[in-house]
Amino acid sequence: MDPTLTAITTIDFRMYAHWIVLLPMIGFLLELLIGQYTWRKGGMFANLSIFGSMVISYGCLYNVYVQHLGFWEYSWDWFYPGIVAGFTVDPLSLAMLCMVSFISFLIHIYAIGYMGHDCAKHVYFAETALFTGSMFGLVLANNLLQLFIFWEMVGLCSYLLIGFWWHKPEAAAAGKKAWMSCAVGDCLFLLGIAIMYTIMAKHGVTTEVISFNQIFQHLEVLSSSVVFGIPALTIICILFMCGVLGKSAGFPLHVWIPDAMEGPTTVSALIHAATMVTAGVYLIARAFPIFLAAPHALAVVGFFGAFTALYASTLGLVVNDLKRIFAYSTISQLGYMITILGCGAVIGVAAVALALFHLVAHAFFKALLFLTSGSVLHGTSNTRDIKEMGGLLKGMPWTGWTMLAGALALIAFPFTAGYYSKDRIIEEAYVYATGHGSLGYLPWLFLVLGVILTATYTFRAWYLAMTGEPRSYLAVHPHECDWWMRTPLVILAIFALGLGLFTKGGTLFWHFLEETFVTATNTVSGIYPGIDLHEIATLGGNHLLEHGHAAEISPAVIYLPFFLMVAGLAIATGAYYRNRVDMSKYIKKENPLYQLLWNKYYMDYLFKDILAEKIIMTVFTFWDVLDRYVIDGVVNLMSWITISTGQVSRKIQTGVVQNYATAVIFGVSLLVILVKLLGGV
Amino acid sequence: MTGYTPLLPEGILIGVAALVILVGLFIEKKKILGYFTLIGLLASLGLTISSWNITTAYTGAPFYGAIVVDPFAQIFNMMFLFVGILVCIAALDAYGDHKNQDEFYALMLLAIVGMMTVALSKDLVALFIGFELASISTYAMAGFDKHDPKSIEAAMKYFLIGGLSSSLMVFGMSYLYGLTGSTNIDTIAAVFAENTALIGTPAILLAMVMLIAGFGFKMAFVPFHMWAPDTYEGAPSIVSSLLAAGSKKMGFAAAFRVFIIGLIAMKLDWYIAFVILAVVTMTVGNVLAVVQKSVKRMLAYSSVAHAGYIAIVFAIVAYPYASADATGLAVAGGILHAFSHAIGKAGAFIAVGAVTYMLMSKNAVDGDPNHIDNYDGLGRRAPLTALLMTIMLLSLAGIPPTFGFTSKWYLFLSAIKGGLLWLAVICVLNSALSVYYYAKVIMRMYWGEPKGDAFIEPPMYLFAMTIAVIALIALFFVPDGVYYWADAAAHALLGV
Repeated sequence: MDPTLTAITTIDFRMYAHWIVLLPMIGFLLELLIGQYTWRKGGMFANLSIFGSMVISYGCLYNVYVQHLGFWEYSWDWFYPGIVAGFTVDPLSLAMLCMVSFISFLIHIYAIGYMGHDCAKHVYFAETALFTGSMFGLVLANNLLQLFIFWEMVGLCSYLLIGFWWHKPEAAAAGKKAWMSCAVGDCLFLLGIAIMYTIMAKHGVTTEVISFNQIFQHLEVLSSSVVFGIPALTIICILFMCGVLGKSAGFPLHVWIPDAMEGPTTVSALIHAATMVTAGVYLIARAFPIFLAAPHALAVVGFFGAFTALYASTLGLVVNDLKRIFAYSTISQLGYMITILGCGAVIGVAAVALALFHLVAHAFFKALLFLTSGSVLHGTSNTRDIKEMGGLLKGMPWTGWTMLAGALALIAFPFTAGYYSKDRIIEEAYVYATGHGSLGYLPWLFLVLGVILTATYTFRAWYLAMTGEPRSYLAVHPHECDWWMRTPLVILAIFALGLGLFTKGGTLFWHFLEETFVTATNTVSGIYPGIDLHEIATLGGNHLLEHGHAAEISPAVIYLPFFLMVAGLAIATGAYYRNRVDMSKYIKKENPLYQLLWNKYYMDYLFKDILAEKIIMTVFTFWDVLDRYVIDGVVNLMSWITISTGQVSRKIQTGVVQNYATAVIFGVSLLVILVKLLGGV
Repeated sequence: MTGYTPLLPEGILIGVAALVILVGLFIEKKKILGYFTLIGLLASLGLTISSWNITTAYTGAPFYGAIVVDPFAQIFNMMFLFVGILVCIAALDAYGDHKNQDEFYALMLLAIVGMMTVALSKDLVALFIGFELASISTYAMAGFDKHDPKSIEAAMKYFLIGGLSSSLMVFGMSYLYGLTGSTNIDTIAAVFAENTALIGTPAILLAMVMLIAGFGFKMAFVPFHMWAPDTYEGAPSIVSSLLAAGSKKMGFAAAFRVFIIGLIAMKLDWYIAFVILAVVTMTVGNVLAVVQKSVKRMLAYSSVAHAGYIAIVFAIVAYPYASADATGLAVAGGILHAFSHAIGKAGAFIAVGAVTYMLMSKNAVDGDPNHIDNYDGLGRRAPLTALLMTIMLLSLAGIPPTFGFTSKWYLFLSAIKGGLLWLAVICVLNSALSVYYYAKVIMRMYWGEPKGDAFIEPPMYLFAMTIAVIALIALFFVPDGVYYWADAAAHALLGV
């Protein structure tokens, strides 16, 4: 073998895992400070630093997957004894790291072209580099506090980047909405961490109190803790779930995602499709043993996930904004991932593997769909309404065909990435259903119904945008994107179509991921032994199937999603390509169903007009009165006293030092009296 | 002489001070002396850090137990030397052309030697000598801009109140000597421990109150604080930096040595008195800082408020129900907060100095150069200064990721662990109030309309601020080293 190659294979990249986080942070600083004076006025440092992180990430994967060097966790004391900072390298974090670094790198390359004409390009790249670094930090965190800090940092970057074109009022408002919606969940998440710390400390744990591995080792004792008569772990998991609903756009905190599309499309692809929004899914996966040990927690996860999946796909049917269609589809797909994690109550760690595989596959095809829609925007002077497009395939073939690849993967067309990831999820949801009575069928039913809607809305968008005749002046002469943008599209399309085939139908990926939790993790000081998930499941009243179960599922159930997908595709083709159905008969104000969907089930109305404007504003008005007349009064009084004192002392300028001396003597006397009266003397 | 190696840091500074004065008589280009001073300070700091963990008591001639080198003394010495280095670097710009700059460096070195002596002393006389050496040097430094009436006024006020406080302090010390027949702090504590009949006497009460007044002057406790805003505002900014960051911490070093050992020995239930002192000090400092129009004066009042935070250490130590763990944590937290405040406040005053310097160099001073209006749009006029100052203000406010957060966390946590949750709540509320006036400056710097074009930022000022900021951020992420130092210092002080 080539000696340099041999040398590379001897490097233990796991020892450099902290650089995965640090490099983009350095890139952020350099980009912010000197980015605008370098190559193409910004973007160099961000791209290079993320490339570096990608190399280390894949190096770690090589160490663990090929060389079998074992999982690695490193932590050091941070500030208070018991609060640590640290990194963990295991299949779960590696899958995320490799996906995030690869997708982020491609999107950064795309952005060199896409943001080419923006005058604040260096700020954009600085913020995306900071985002990527924070995302790595979130993924690598070995404890809840560190995860939470990075969780907030990615939220901050999301806020900044949604409002990147802050001079547009709707962009600024969208940023605010995203921040506020997530903040609701984040507060509850933080509360959950605090309760976790408290019960860990109560059980006498003093080292690495909220490290994941340490919590997993103590789940048996923790499951006896009770808060307000409810098992503490269930409360903690529900609070975590609130954080997840905010970050991963679960019902009812999903309202911010469609508005977040006001940001640059690269941001939508990076943050609101491929990486940040999956942080919630990652959190449940990372904390999976806790959820497993908490009674009823996974059932809540499963139902919320499945409802979100169906709910969002109905909304995708009526929206005309190309990016928002994909945004609703993101919400819906995240619902699929969360549902399968909920099904982990029966299938165990396989749920984590399946969720992560769908997460990775989704990251590829959704990033692709967003980047192609960005290319459409770029080529048609920011047209976003699909009613004004049409026939773009002729003008922009690269964009059109790669978008078709993404769309096929999204609807789980056979042999694309989505086919392997999503259909397996639906299958396992059926396995879950068979053991949980008639209510247990609900998640499966929601997911199955979602399939037909997904196929319909996806191809509605593709047909309306790409085929037929141009419906507006702007769509007549679209211009194709440059090579900076084309290359990532092609690479992503290859993965969107072929990821399932590359991993032998996902089995390679699943087997690797299923080692998480059950295999031991090495640390500097010792080893965390793997945990027995079957035992842990019994703590939460769950019963796991034996590994390699042979649950009998009839072929009808297995092939149902495929037929539904074909049905959805046929509806879309009939209505929007062949124009067999006159859609204007249904899409009109008088149709109550259309009204309901068009108004997004009145969720925005509920939150903004009722909750925000009626309830919260009433409270705030009251507070305002209090603030104006009472608090301001006190402050004004204080400043009046200070200013009067100042004016008095100005008049007796020569006597000031004597006054100070008097104060000293006065203070001494007062202390004597004080100690005499109150003290023990 | 090997036995005196631990005292080498002080020796170096005395030697450098003498040389600077002597050489200064004969040369014209005196800026070189500033670099020489800087090297001396760096060497001294290096020696101190390398020997942070030693304990050497000088019981024989010539000190007879008056001096002890222990982790407690060493961490305070590091603090003084670090501040000295920052001030010295900034002085290279501020007084680079001044014809008497050699005197400035010599006085600064002697002031630092005085402060270090206080940290080292185990004897009231040695402590008093150190105190006076530092005080007299800084009196002269406060009036260093002798053509500026405000500087002279600052020096006069500082000197007069300082003299009064020193006399009160000596008065208190004389009582202690009269009662115990010794000036050695350990011996005094031992006598009290044996002779419990002494404890109830009014003489002790008077002695302790006089000492509180004497040290409280340096620490700027209310009501002994009134000189501080005037002096910090009128004195040259880099001297204010030395006063607020160095001289004030000397007061704490002395008070920790005398009160904490004394309080434990005397088992006095003084905690209510200290609680009132601490709460009044932090509240008065914060409330007055809110209404200030001058940034420098605002920093002075914020310094009073911080003295109040650190003063809760005395309350926790005096609190009879606090566990030994909580007491240790309180002292360690107090030292850490003194450290973080020293770095942040020294840097912030240097930043104020830099702004004045930039305004002066453009002849753009209209009225008070420290007025908040001059900070409008500083983010665009002097981006680096504004950024560095922002980070230092965030540290003073206790906002992560800065060392100010870590130190406040330990300090307030010790109050909770000691059973004084309500005191911690008061401290946190006060901190919240303080965010208002720090954030106001940051807002004006970034959202205010600039009143002129960009400045040329003075390099040495920037260098000093950068060091401070790097220290503040680095110590947030890797605080364990300095935490162990503070912990060792607390153990050395408490003798456990």
